[in-house]
Formats: sequence, C-alpha cells, structure tokens
Amino acid sequence: MTITLGLDVGSLFTKAVLLDGSRILTTAIRETSGNFTREVEDLISRVLAAGGVSREDVAEIVSTGQGDELVEQAHFCEDDVACIAAATRHLLPDTELTIEIGGQSITGVLSNPQGEVVNFMRNDKCASGSGRFIEVISSALGINIDLLDETVEQASKKIAVSTQCAVFAESEIISHVNQGEAVPDILAGVCDSMARIVISQALRFGPVERYTVTGGVARLSSIVKILQERLHGQYRPFPIDPQFAAAYGAALLGQQE
Amino acid sequence: MLYGGIDVGSLTAQAVVLKDNAIYSFQSIRVKPNPVDSAATVLEGALKEKGLTLKDLCFCVSTGYGREQIQKEGLSRENMSEISCHGKGAWWVLPQVRTIIDIGGQDAKVIRVDKDGELVNFVMNDKCAAGTGRFLDVMSKTLGISVEELGPLSFKAQQVIEMSNRCSIFCETEVHHYLQRGASPADLAAGINRTMAGRVMALVRRVGPEKEITMTGGVAKNQSVRKELEKAMGTRMLTYHVDSQIIGALGAALIARQLRGVKQ
Repeated sequence: MTITLGLDVGSLFTKAVLLDGSRILTTAIRETSGNFTREVEDLISRVLAAGGVSREDVAEIVSTGQGDELVEQAHFCEDDVACIAAATRHLLPDTELTIEIGGQSITGVLSNPQGEVVNFMRNDKCASGSGRFIEVISSALGINIDLLDETVEQASKKIAVSTQCAVFAESEIISHVNQGEAVPDILAGVCDSMARIVISQALRFGPVERYTVTGGVARLSSIVKILQERLHGQYRPFPIDPQFAAAYGAALLGQQE
Repeated sequence: MLYGGIDVGSLTAQAVVLKDNAIYSFQSIRVKPNPVDSAATVLEGALKEKGLTLKDLCFCVSTGYGREQIQKEGLSRENMSEISCHGKGAWWVLPQVRTIIDIGGQDAKVIRVDKDGELVNFVMNDKCAAGTGRFLDVMSKTLGISVEELGPLSFKAQQVIEMSNRCSIFCETEVHHYLQRGASPADLAAGINRTMAGRVMALVRRVGPEKEITMTGGVAKNQSVRKELEKAMGTRMLTYHVDSQIIGALGAALIARQLRGVKQ
C-alpha cells in the first residue's frame, strides 16, 4: 500500500493525516503560530512516530490550506476546495454539498454525482460565521470553546444577537452580561446567530439532497444541530473528525499521484 | 431664546445649548448604560454651566441612540435622525459644505446636503466594524496605545504597513503577527489609518462626493485618517473651529430652533 501524508495549514490550527491507502494511520494537530516549517516538522515527526512509519516510506507529502505554499516539506500543494471535495467524495460519495467552517472562513463546495467540484464559494473577508467568531464570543464570556456544547445545554432561552459583525457582537453580549442575562442563554443566542450565517451561505447553492459539515466548527454540536433543523436536505455526519477533512483529502490526492 | 440638542452616541454623548444663533454652552460625556441617563446627565451638565435648567429651553431635540425614549421621558420635545442633525450641524459651521463624512464609534455615514443644509442623500455602514471608530479602537488596543495616539504615532512612520484584511478581527491577528516579526508600531499605525480611510472611501464613492467636503465625529480628530482620505479623494477637506464630536448635538439644537416655529 502507498503511504501519504496530508498537511492542512489553517489560520488557527495545522493538521496532519497519515494515510495508508485510504485508511488513516494517525493524525496530529497543533496551533498555527506562523513558523510553518517548524510546526509542520513537529507534526510530521509526531504522525510518523505514532504510525510507526519511517520518512522514506512516505510516497507523497501534500499540503493545503492558507499556508500551503510555505510548507517546505511538501512535495506539492493542493487547493483546499479540491481536498475537501476529495474527502467527501471518498467518505460520503452521494453527498453534494460540503460546508467547511474553518478558523477564518466558511467554504461551501458543491460536487456532482461523479464527485467533481461544480461550484464553490468562500467567505474569508469577515469573521462572522467562522471559527473566530465563536472563539471571540466564548472568550468574552469566559467559556472555553471545548465547554461550549455543555454550556449551551444549560440554556433555558436564547438571547438574540442583533449584529453579524464579531466586534459589534462582542460588545452586545457584554451588555447582555451586564444586564444580568445568564451566560448559557447568551451563548445559545450566539450559536443561533452563527448557524444563521452559515445557513445563508449554504442556501446560495440552492436546494441539495444531502450535505455534510466539516472544519473545526463542525465539532460543535450546538451549532450543527441548528443547521440540521433549518437546512433542507439530509445531514450526513462526517465519518472522521471533521477538523481533519482537508488534511485527509490532501493525503487522498497524494494517493492518486 | 435657548434651544437644546442632545446626541447620544455609542461611546460618548453630547449636549449643545444654542442661544439665538450662537453656541452658548456644550458638554460631552462618556455614555452610561442607558441612553436616557446619558441624555439627562449631559444636558443637565451643559445647562448647569450657565446656571440654567431644563425649563429654560424653549425647545430641545434628541438624536442618536435612544432618541425616541429620550423624548418620551420628556428630556426633548422632538427627535430627529442623526443624519439630518449631522447635515444641519456641519452646514451651520461651514455653509459651503455639501458632503459630510461622519465617523462615529460604531458607524460611518457619508451625507450630502444642499445649500440650506437639507439632506439630499446619504450612505451608511453600521453592520461592520471596519471603517468605523471601533476599528481604530480595536487596532490601538492591539498596538497597546490609546486611540488618540494613533494619529500622531503614524506621522513617525518610515513606511506604511497596510492591512490585507478587511475584518477588524482578522486585522487584529495581522497586527499581532507583524509585531511578533518586529514591525514598528508607527508603521503599523500609519497602515491602520490608511486601511481605515480605504474602508471609508468605499462609502464616499457610493454617495458621490460633492465639494466642499468636511468630516465630523470622533474619528475626524485623527489627522492621519484625514490626510489619507484627502489623498484618496484628491481634495482638501474643510476644517472648522468647533469640536467635531458635538456637530450632531449642534444640528439637533439648530433643528429645535427651526421646529419651534412649527410646533408650540
């Protein structure tokens, strides 16, 4: 079997997936800080050690994401839209739409039944609806993002957020706190607002029969649940950790070389 | 005759007392959580300075946040949009003005007025922090300076490091990265002010500016943003000898004087 390594340099996190054929041997993740070469080297040695694979056995190292061209270790780079489409095509072959919600962007990728990309759109101009939005707000509320879902579960109502802008939303929720509103209720409103932004992007593709959600935000069930309630079409949960979708797709594309 | 104008903004609130055709007294405060409290405090402050009370005003107009509530509470007799008030106020200080760029704490407006200071057209951004005072607030915090220092600091720049992002949140990250790599705060300040002017220019182009042009609101005090805007428009803007932050309240007081003839 061929062993390939996919690297996804995102705005917040860098991810690595080590693949044997289409089977995941191991994955690794770390925060992106700017020193790509060092970060990537750390991830590579981690996945190789955990997978029990020596560097010479890796046929292809493929990079994708925001900093893909800066990865010196990569044999080639692939556009992240192609990587996301490849991952969905392989894992969920009948799913037309993939909504990737990353640290600083929302990307929608529409594929035809053959798995070819027919359309995509991306919002990377504005933090609203991206991972950063939810990060900024939860940190203003003093809630660790890993505790977001369980905090929202305690909500008894949703306090609406009137603005899409992350900066304005931050002030708005601070004023809610000052007015004595409960943190879970505020956060529930924020998740609702976040989901609304994602939905408005998804609707630009028109009706689809099946869709999936990838990227770091896809792990937040309080947001994905709202998407499921309001988006027409069947929601297909991404079979692997959705944060690794693009890195997985990159490794898959390496297999085809 | 005494007329009052109250303008409650996102960060500061102002009141102006007009005596016949001159500014008799004015005050500016940081806002309180409730706009009615802000309005009461700032108006009383402006009146007290001359030993006056609310009863001495023959008409008062409120504008800005909570302008309707302020009227309901009896602090003003009428309320008016900020756009009309800024148009009127700017026209009073500069009768030749036709375009007003008003940048407040949470929004930006470009207002066109006719020779009588009446509104012709306007465009506004209150959806996105980019191009509003908040952008400069966020950026100056990231640089570890006060927003007032952002203008002066940028004049020490050796080069201008413009932001590649539009979103204030993303620009924050961008500035952090530059600082980590040893970029000078002055160069960044200059870039931030240019980026700010770029966002405002998008609004200016939409309205189609007509001479003469001036600026109002808190951001008008940032000389670097002014210069960048002038460069982008290819024309100088007019200045005036009144605090740029009281133009809205001044306009409200002027409208109060106008309305007095109609409503009694």
